[in-house]
Amino acid sequence: MKFLSLIVKSARRSKRRTVLTIMSVALAVFLFAALRAVLDGFNAATAGSSSTRIVTIRSTSLIFSMPTSHANGIRTIAGVQDLTWANWFGGIYKDPQNFFAQFAVEPESYLRMYPEIILEADQKKDFLEDRTACIVGDGLARRFGWKLGDRVVLQVGIPTYGTQDFDFTIRGIYQAGGSAVDNQSMLFNWKYADERSIEKGQVGWYVVKIDAPDHAPQISAAIDQQFANTPYETKTDTEKQFQSSFASMFGNLNLLLGSIALAVVVSTLFVAANTMAMSVRERTTEIAVMRTLGFPAQWIFLFIAGEGLLISIIGGVIGALLAWFVADGEKLGISGGFAPVFAVSPGNAAVGVGISALIGLIAGTIPAAMASRLKIVDALRRVA
Amino acid sequence: MPCAGLHKTAVGLVSNYNLRSMIVRKGTATMTALGIAMVVAVFVMTLSIAQGFQSTLVASGSPQNAIVMRKGATSENVSAVTKQELPLIQTFPQIARDASGHPLASPELVVIIALPRKTNNEPANVPVRGVGPLAFDVRETVSFVEGRRFTPGTREINVGRAAVNRFGGLTLGSDVKFGGSVWNVVGVFAADDASFESEVWGDIDLMMPAFQRNGYQSVTAKLIDPSMLDSLQAAIAADPRLQLSAQREIDYYAGQSATLTLVIRVFGTFVTLILSIGAMFGAMNTMYAAVAYRTREIGTLRALGFSRLRIIGAFLAESVVLALVGGVIGCVLALPVHGLSTGTTNMASFSEVAFKFRITPALLAGGLAFAALMGAVGGLLPALRAARIPVARALREI
Repeated sequence: MKFLSLIVKSARRSKRRTVLTIMSVALAVFLFAALRAVLDGFNAATAGSSSTRIVTIRSTSLIFSMPTSHANGIRTIAGVQDLTWANWFGGIYKDPQNFFAQFAVEPESYLRMYPEIILEADQKKDFLEDRTACIVGDGLARRFGWKLGDRVVLQVGIPTYGTQDFDFTIRGIYQAGGSAVDNQSMLFNWKYADERSIEKGQVGWYVVKIDAPDHAPQISAAIDQQFANTPYETKTDTEKQFQSSFASMFGNLNLLLGSIALAVVVSTLFVAANTMAMSVRERTTEIAVMRTLGFPAQWIFLFIAGEGLLISIIGGVIGALLAWFVADGEKLGISGGFAPVFAVSPGNAAVGVGISALIGLIAGTIPAAMASRLKIVDALRRVA
Repeated sequence: MPCAGLHKTAVGLVSNYNLRSMIVRKGTATMTALGIAMVVAVFVMTLSIAQGFQSTLVASGSPQNAIVMRKGATSENVSAVTKQELPLIQTFPQIARDASGHPLASPELVVIIALPRKTNNEPANVPVRGVGPLAFDVRETVSFVEGRRFTPGTREINVGRAAVNRFGGLTLGSDVKFGGSVWNVVGVFAADDASFESEVWGDIDLMMPAFQRNGYQSVTAKLIDPSMLDSLQAAIAADPRLQLSAQREIDYYAGQSATLTLVIRVFGTFVTLILSIGAMFGAMNTMYAAVAYRTREIGTLRALGFSRLRIIGAFLAESVVLALVGGVIGCVLALPVHGLSTGTTNMASFSEVAFKFRITPALLAGGLAFAALMGAVGGLLPALRAARIPVARALREI
């Protein structure tokens, strides 16, 4: 206890310096935790994907569609338990800047296959009964201030859906019960889009429920085999693989955000180590007096290293708390468009505090070693 | 002018004094400079991504070319030009002609095929562009680095050199399977690092049936003179049979890069701003310590007649120089990324664009200015403190 109060005393010796150092560490940890949260956000859909869902797309690429008749072909394959389909709609809500994802889905089977979409029973009923109904994620509803019963008009973005605007009524607001779905999307009845489509009966991708995760490779191969050498060849992959191809679309974000995070840590390390060295240099005489009084060198080491650690961890906790409250994509209004849905998780915050401890440890060790190795005679002779 | 002479010596003395004291405290000074160096390095590196992406897209457009798309279409993907509209466009007198009198206008269609990305074997969205026979004359920057142009009417394709490097199975002589047929790569082309280098080009008349399309998406035409765009736009608007509009090709591609460039710039600036506050605190610590160590020296300078303003100036200069040294180190640290290839998806076209990190002199200057600003802000309070030190007390201090 005395030990700690001595550390606190010396940390308060130069209040301004301690505060500045705490604030630099806090900012670094804030940035670090926020960057981790953004990265997690990009990878969330991959991490939350189900191992019993596989996705079939056209082998050429995702932008091409295939006929609804593929559904019957897929159902005949052993191990297939359920399926649904969806299309990317790509409509424009007032202005292209308001970008969000809209999916034309086969409503009943889609909700059945994605239990992650949490929708109240009466809203679900309304959605299924109304052909021009849509449901929206609660995040998206907050973004545009939508309520149940609101009308939403989308301009057509993809020429195949004609030129006439689409009118929707919001019949449900869902919550995302897992990261396989996000709360920034809009879902509506595939039939509504299909009846205005220039080419009828077209599907962007099928989602297939299989009996066991281990069967994914065989079932995928069997589906693709079924349509080989037809005009609509397919490529089937696990949902995880499907999602990770989206995450990798933006380029090597792991490397980019990782290097920035590293630079943040290193630059803060310089600041913190510098401060500790400065503070030890100022205290040279004091340390020599303590040594003369009989404090062993190891204790001196622990005092200084402990001070570094304490200052740094205080900064780390402040930074992590700041990130926890502030770095939330939805609150900041940047999720849903380019940026993913992200929020600082307890894990991100904990890693941030851990990083601050690491910074404190490294920054304190060198000056601490210097101080503990001081020759008493030299140090006493030295003038500040 | 003895006065001016004295003035000069005085400035020289103070800055010399500050520089030398920085060398005395080389450990602390180095740490502070390195902290700032990291910030500047992050700043330059992230903005070089935006720079590289933007210049790759802008390089795709020529001021002398016009791209004709459906009215209101924001990108080729969502545009449509019918087969009947093409001859109407080609007859406009604003469009240049080749030696044998053919209009230099290329009807085009862009679709996306999935090919494995070499770095991680994940499927990437590679743009395939069906082009008219005169496409290579419309776009003069395209030149062949290997092989030759595809022969119209055959399943031959040309591939941009960035695509060859980034995606698997596109090297010269390879057979590529897409759209229900097999296509042979007969040439690899370069295009001044433009986004075309990430594309696969083939005959539009074979691409349309292969992808079950029966119309074009756009027509790119070379104007006789860049100034003729206005009259071409007027001519298109005046023809009731055309539901189209023309824009300058360079403006179209600049617009395509706008969103992502803005996102990267905002992100990069936000991150470096927060980071720089931390580094500024570091500089502030260092400068406060510098002032504290030199209290007696400052008192002496004041006693010799140096004004408060001069002292502020001197310490500010010391801080700025320290930060600039860090800035230079940061720029040097960032330089190796220049020219590195990378790629990302352009959401405007939903296709992957390969580009290079691009560090321009203006970007480096920006980094240095940023460093200087950090030094100035970090040094201001300590410098003010130095100037406020009472002379008598300072001299009494040991």
